[in-house]
Amino acid sequence: MLRYIVKRVLLMIPTLIAVSVIVFTIIQLPPGNYLESYIAELQAQGETVDQQKVDFLRQYYGLDKPLPQQYLRWAGGMLKGDFGYSFEFNMPVTKVVGDRMFLTIIISLVTVLFTWAIAFPIGIYSATHQYSWGDYGLSLLGFLGIAIPNFMLALIMMYVANVYFGTSIGGLMDPQYIGKPWTWDKLMSVLAHSWIPVVVIGTGGTAGMIRRLRANLLDELKKQYVVTARAKGLPPGKLLRKYPLRMALNFFVSDIGSLLPQIISGAEITAVVLSLPTTGPMLLAALKSQDMYLAGSFLMFLAVLIVIGVLVSDLALMALDPRIRLTGGISR
Amino acid sequence: MKVGAAAIAAMAWLALAPAAGADAPAPAARAGEPPMFAFDIASGALPPLARRLPDVPLVVKPQRTDWSPGHYGGTLRTMMAKDRDIRFMVVYGYARLVGYDENLRIVPDLLESIDNVDDRVFTLHLRPGHKWSDGKPFTSADFKFYWDDVANNRDLSPFGLPQALKVDGHGPRFEVLDERTVRYTWDAPNPQFLPALAAPSPLYIYRPAHYLRNYHARYIGLDKANAQAVAAGSRDWIGYYQKLDEQYRFDNPALPTLEPWVNTTAMPSTRFVLTRNPYFHRVDEQGRQLPYIDRVEVRITEDKLIPAKTGSGESDLQARYLRFDDYTFLKQGEARNHYHVRLWDKALGSQLALYPNLNVADPVWRKLMRDVRFRRALSLAVNRHEINEVVYFGLARESANTVLARSPLFRPEFRAAWSKLDVAKANALLDELGLNKRNDDGVRLLPDGRPMELIVDTSGESTEETDVLELVRDSWRKVGIALYARPSQREVFRRRVYSGMSMMSIWSGLSNGIPTPEMSPAELAPTAQEQLQWPMWGQYFQNRRAGGEAPALPEAQTLVDLYREWEVAKGYAAREKIWLEMLGINADQVFTIGIVSRAPQPIVVSDALRNVPAEAVYSWDPGAYFGMYRPETFWLDTRAN
Repeated sequence: MLRYIVKRVLLMIPTLIAVSVIVFTIIQLPPGNYLESYIAELQAQGETVDQQKVDFLRQYYGLDKPLPQQYLRWAGGMLKGDFGYSFEFNMPVTKVVGDRMFLTIIISLVTVLFTWAIAFPIGIYSATHQYSWGDYGLSLLGFLGIAIPNFMLALIMMYVANVYFGTSIGGLMDPQYIGKPWTWDKLMSVLAHSWIPVVVIGTGGTAGMIRRLRANLLDELKKQYVVTARAKGLPPGKLLRKYPLRMALNFFVSDIGSLLPQIISGAEITAVVLSLPTTGPMLLAALKSQDMYLAGSFLMFLAVLIVIGVLVSDLALMALDPRIRLTGGISR
Repeated sequence: MKVGAAAIAAMAWLALAPAAGADAPAPAARAGEPPMFAFDIASGALPPLARRLPDVPLVVKPQRTDWSPGHYGGTLRTMMAKDRDIRFMVVYGYARLVGYDENLRIVPDLLESIDNVDDRVFTLHLRPGHKWSDGKPFTSADFKFYWDDVANNRDLSPFGLPQALKVDGHGPRFEVLDERTVRYTWDAPNPQFLPALAAPSPLYIYRPAHYLRNYHARYIGLDKANAQAVAAGSRDWIGYYQKLDEQYRFDNPALPTLEPWVNTTAMPSTRFVLTRNPYFHRVDEQGRQLPYIDRVEVRITEDKLIPAKTGSGESDLQARYLRFDDYTFLKQGEARNHYHVRLWDKALGSQLALYPNLNVADPVWRKLMRDVRFRRALSLAVNRHEINEVVYFGLARESANTVLARSPLFRPEFRAAWSKLDVAKANALLDELGLNKRNDDGVRLLPDGRPMELIVDTSGESTEETDVLELVRDSWRKVGIALYARPSQREVFRRRVYSGMSMMSIWSGLSNGIPTPEMSPAELAPTAQEQLQWPMWGQYFQNRRAGGEAPALPEAQTLVDLYREWEVAKGYAAREKIWLEMLGINADQVFTIGIVSRAPQPIVVSDALRNVPAEAVYSWDPGAYFGMYRPETFWLDTRAN
């Protein structure tokens, strides 16, 4: 077991190196660099650029150096915990990400809890009452949830809120708290504002989870051990909780792998539409303006989380499910 | 006790203000003291008005007939798309040493006066008693600091003086005459100097020395400066100093400023709050200190959402990120959300213009592009009326790419030159060029037998470009030219043009459509690589013959010569003559093919906001967008709604 973990951890190193090269290359693929797109953007608005300043910045940020050298400087810095410098904000990447990261985690965690709280009862109900009116009705809702893109739902809600209720739903807290240190009141204000993004972001995930839980549970419910247990007179509720439901949860554990990066990145497009102060819109803007260290470091961070998340869910699966553990032993 | 009374008085004034009306100003208003400061003054945190204003404040006279003296107070809400856009509050604030007034004359603003001898010797007189937003005096020492320790500091300015300070590569002599007088002397005239000071993104020749000295290696020592910078997360003092010294970026709340509103929020943020500058140097006719509005709140939101949010009444004053396409949508929400949409004229010489690339790599096309008959034929074959009706609801004006009627340099013949649809004449011109063979589709053949398929590069910014090109294609088809649009991305677009890969491109026309003879005619001559019709010739000029190509057309060379003449010309009449000559050559030679001008820019103004002109020009330089119309005199009428 320990051997396995060490092996997996060592494997992460070449994976992450490969990812960092790919990330860096892809960010550099569009022609030009941050300064060029900055100049182009200013000129598109009719503004002028001080050539002296641009020359200074190019030299100062090392943008006149060859690409491999820029890559080594960035990758080397990350090993030391220096994630580079955001050109756009004129400050270290860590400072830019700071507050946004915290808000993103709050929103994402609440969303995840919301998703589970809704999806579990419905999924179980649908599976145990297959082909009933309730199942059909909830499935219909679920399909709607999957089919409507989140950003679309966000737009519709914004429109409805504005036209019929005269309110704005963008943002994540009352204006007076923006940029202020964290207090209890601020946290409450964030929670009070967060239900709309949570609903919007959560619908798709909820619907997906209902479908998966229902399908997995249906598989298990038809198996012989369920029939046997039922024949032996086990109460239906206890039976469900103790055997098939647990068996059906494997997919849930393996989801953890993708959950971690999701919590950090937030739902980008939805966040953009709702103008949430989370990391998603920032990443998008950084990619658009070729703010390469901000975008690159953030993507790397996500990659690290995915790798760790997959490892954690693999280990958890092994711990939870003897079948996986044993099969693993045989093949070795 | 005194404190409490003052505060109550201030609140009482606020409460009374709606009922009081303009003709019965309350006591606080008569004293010219903004009520927002009542508490600070009573507590002694802020000196009274008389000690905050310069001895000679700038009195802002009513500029328009619908102008009314305002009430203090309120928060103006507006939206921007990026943190970096906070710099637009410097543009809108428009406090400059000298600035343009509404008649486009350069007048002293921060300066009390300026003496100009032959555009060579400029003596700048500061206002006695003028103070930075932190209450420290604004003196010639601030100019000296910039000159000695920034502009001529090898670390901070490794590439030398800014372009506008150089004439033929030489900088001026700088003298400090006394505490409030400085002088710049050039050997040859420098007509760029004043326009650069008055620009929306100005040449800053002064710095808040008392603040920046604390970060400058010369004043605190290299070791301390570097240590301080590293502690703050920068690499060295140079980077840290540059980051703090950003009067235009406006992203350092600690940096003292002279603008009407002071930024109080550091990046990154989604909401920037600016509060009134207690030491601002302008007053209204009754001696009341401006600005009227206490706070400006700038929300940062996705640029594509700004029209939608504006339409739901979330902005009191919005123009940036609104496009003409949004007009009908914005109009729809007017009554419901208590704002009105105004249409200002854009100051572009042409909303969109086609730029034949005279430096195109393909030799056959290059020869054609450089032939004036070909360019004229292309221009004659554009159906401008149709484009105006279809794309701009007929609100724009069919025109060649030239200056607008508001400019004193406007001549109707420039606008009309080769810009009336005349298919027969266009066909005749093309036949005359020997392009009389056509293929089965009716497309003319180039001399080497290829069909005339003209590819127009677009930067892919908007559907407006592609809509216009679609209509141009229909009418060019009638003269046997096939047009294909090639949308790309902004940087790719520019590279293709610069390298000669692109045959023709579409972009906005002259950026300054309302020039006076005093403003630079550089746009009319090949002087910069950014000029899409002759990037290589422009580069040749820009890099002092070190790159690019020398202009190969005599007319283009004449334009360069005229531009150089303008630089050293003396007096209004001489400059006007050069301008007109350059405009004439551009009109006759059709170096760029203008389509429509004076396209409207939607401006959304809250019903409560007063003193925003109903009709105006929306212009970057000259104008600074709202800046020229004195946003510090805008005020919020609490009686509205």
